[in-house]
Amino acid sequence: MTDSPPDGDLVDEAADSVEADAVETELEEIGFAAELTELVGASLWVDEFDTIRIYVARENWVESLRLARDEAGLTFFGWLSAVDWSTEVAVGEQVGEPDELIERYEVVCRLSSVTSSKGAHFFTEVPKDDAIIDSIVPLFAGAEWHEREAAEMFGITFVGHPYPLKLYLPDSFQGFPLRKSYPLLSREVKPWPGTVDVESMPAADGPSTTNVEAGDTGGDE
Amino acid sequence: MIDKFGRLKPVSWLLNWSRTYSLWYFQFGLACCAIEVMAAAGPRYDMMRFGIIPLPASPRQSDLMVVAGTVTDKMAPAVRRLYDQMPDPKYVISMGSCANCGGPYWDSYSVTKGVDQIIPVDVYVPGCPPRPEALMEGILLLQQQIRNEDIPDKWSQSDRLPA
Amino acid sequence: MTDIDARAAMHLSDASVSVELETQGMTLNIGPQHPSTHGVLRLVAKVEGERVMSVQPVIGYMHRGYEKLTEVRTYAQITALVNRIDWVSGFANEIPWIRAVEKLMEIEVPERAQWIRLILTEMTRISSHLLFMSSYPLELGAATPLMYALREREYVMDLIEGLTGGRFHPNFNRVGGVKPAAGGGSTQKKVSQDLPAGFFQGTREAMDRIDSVMDELDELVTGNEMVRARTIGVGVIPPEKAIEFGLSGPNARASGIDFDLRRDGEPYLPYDQVDFDVITEQTGDSFARYLVRKEEIRQAVRIVRQGIDNIKPGPLQAKVPRVLKVPKGQTYVRTENPKGEMGFYLISEGGRIPYRVKIRSASFCNLSILSWILEGALVPDLVAIMGSLDFVLGDVDR
Repeated sequence: MTDSPPDGDLVDEAADSVEADAVETELEEIGFAAELTELVGASLWVDEFDTIRIYVARENWVESLRLARDEAGLTFFGWLSAVDWSTEVAVGEQVGEPDELIERYEVVCRLSSVTSSKGAHFFTEVPKDDAIIDSIVPLFAGAEWHEREAAEMFGITFVGHPYPLKLYLPDSFQGFPLRKSYPLLSREVKPWPGTVDVESMPAADGPSTTNVEAGDTGGDE
Repeated sequence: MIDKFGRLKPVSWLLNWSRTYSLWYFQFGLACCAIEVMAAAGPRYDMMRFGIIPLPASPRQSDLMVVAGTVTDKMAPAVRRLYDQMPDPKYVISMGSCANCGGPYWDSYSVTKGVDQIIPVDVYVPGCPPRPEALMEGILLLQQQIRNEDIPDKWSQSDRLPA
Repeated sequence: MTDIDARAAMHLSDASVSVELETQGMTLNIGPQHPSTHGVLRLVAKVEGERVMSVQPVIGYMHRGYEKLTEVRTYAQITALVNRIDWVSGFANEIPWIRAVEKLMEIEVPERAQWIRLILTEMTRISSHLLFMSSYPLELGAATPLMYALREREYVMDLIEGLTGGRFHPNFNRVGGVKPAAGGGSTQKKVSQDLPAGFFQGTREAMDRIDSVMDELDELVTGNEMVRARTIGVGVIPPEKAIEFGLSGPNARASGIDFDLRRDGEPYLPYDQVDFDVITEQTGDSFARYLVRKEEIRQAVRIVRQGIDNIKPGPLQAKVPRVLKVPKGQTYVRTENPKGEMGFYLISEGGRIPYRVKIRSASFCNLSILSWILEGALVPDLVAIMGSLDFVLGDVDR
């Protein structure tokens, strides 16, 4: 993504105190992410694969997004959703290192700009037993539907939301589908056969499962 | 002069023939298959030359319901109610693999595995989405079925249960 | 309500009764089944007389659970599933997904594959906007453009089908490029022709036909008094509201926001090597949204013509391992879909199945403005406004 040269005082100060050119160029390239983090008062940011992630504290959630909108020019509301970091996975894959995982929900909101290609994702961590966070509907009216969806999919409560009703699921639905612990009942009844290549025609030698991709026979379920 | 069901041949032939070539389907496009239904009614594939006219927007004036697309659990009561609103004799074509059996979303938590769990289906048209010609073949099969059916039996099908 | 009373009084010149219109509020339920191409949308509208007081859209009738399904499918299987999100522009949905996977795997896509993707994406844009051109006048009451636009759409479908095998669910992208030549793969040495014979000629003819049918539709629809009376000044969206709700694509550009991800966003296809204009209008009403889409068809035709001139021979897919494992990481890729900005946020923990995929669909955000924009509108304008937003329920409900 194209980064504009940093124009904030903070980054200039940091650049002055460093001597090597290479580090200065690196600071210029990552300028926007660092500047934004200083602005919203977060402590951690990651910029890899052309994606900026900024981790803010739960108490500063609304204020950080307001600062990003008013002072950093990120006025376009992209989306809001959540991620369930959990080790008890009913369907799908485990995390890479299950022993090091802290179980939590992460609420993520993407804001971007309509005058340039700048954009950032703001993450905040919400503990599982206390899944409450402030609603950003006063800031961005478009967040209303996104928060309703996150609430019904994960069970997170958004304080101050004007219409906390279900969005997608029928009223009689039980459970929170996008949680990792939610099973897919159809898969329990009929397990997925795995990736099987084209079976040969049922000729004299009967059906055969040659050309099966190595290591793909039902190993994932 | 008597056909295989024991009815008067000219009468049953006339009634079946008139119903076959004036099937009006009501526009119940749910998902991607609805676009193929529109293309089938469009200028190239032109279903209207078979007498299948996509005019009625209300179930009360239609004979045929083409369930085109995924039926979700939230939508299922509406599908049932629309089917009940159709006057007899009525026919149902299940189009596409989502309506046949749940399709690519067979393991989803919100998809009904096939519309035949809710309403009785006459013809299944496989495909994802089936080409407009495939839908037309399904309709032609239905037309053959109608031409050879027993009218009083069809008109009193209130006890017909879904699969 | 006073202007209605005055007009009514004018007509009932010899009436001796008072023309105080006493209206009673009523809750009107529109849908979920109704004759339109958008799909199963239910609107609970509180109307008073002819005016809509408030509208609460009820969605979820097409919710298929995509985000949960992506947690149990491999990356190649998800490619086949993803083009059914926005079902009128099938190929364009695959692009952000496959770019997200390629970004995490850090794969460089060969040039020929990029050009084929660009040509197919723009053809999909033409197809999606032609469907809008056929269904929007139908909702306003004009039945003829339906047939004209659908006829031309069939030619584009023929081309897409000739190349990919599917009319609008092509499943043509592979990680690292597009599907290698039919019969290709490691077991077969000979590389058969990837673009079918007659593709270039057929494309040129189809683009000429589309240009001429756009002229016809211009005559039929754009200058039509009834269409103009029903859409000009109706459903105005100011740009600040558009940004706040996350409106993107032609809806935002009709309100004056000059932002197009093909030109201004992160580069994902060789759009910098083709010439095209980004169409914006300033008024933000339904007519502006119609005009933007109409002109975008012409621009897409321009891009396709340049695409088939610029394409060069080369490999179709980069080398990828047979069993696809994507390294750990998180990325977000967004592209300019015909409906707006579509993005995939992919969280991978290594392995053959993603950990979490968030699908940012354009129509979800486009539709969320509906309850705001329909407050105080007239009941006949409801259809005109909804149609001009051009949403597809599969995109809204995922």
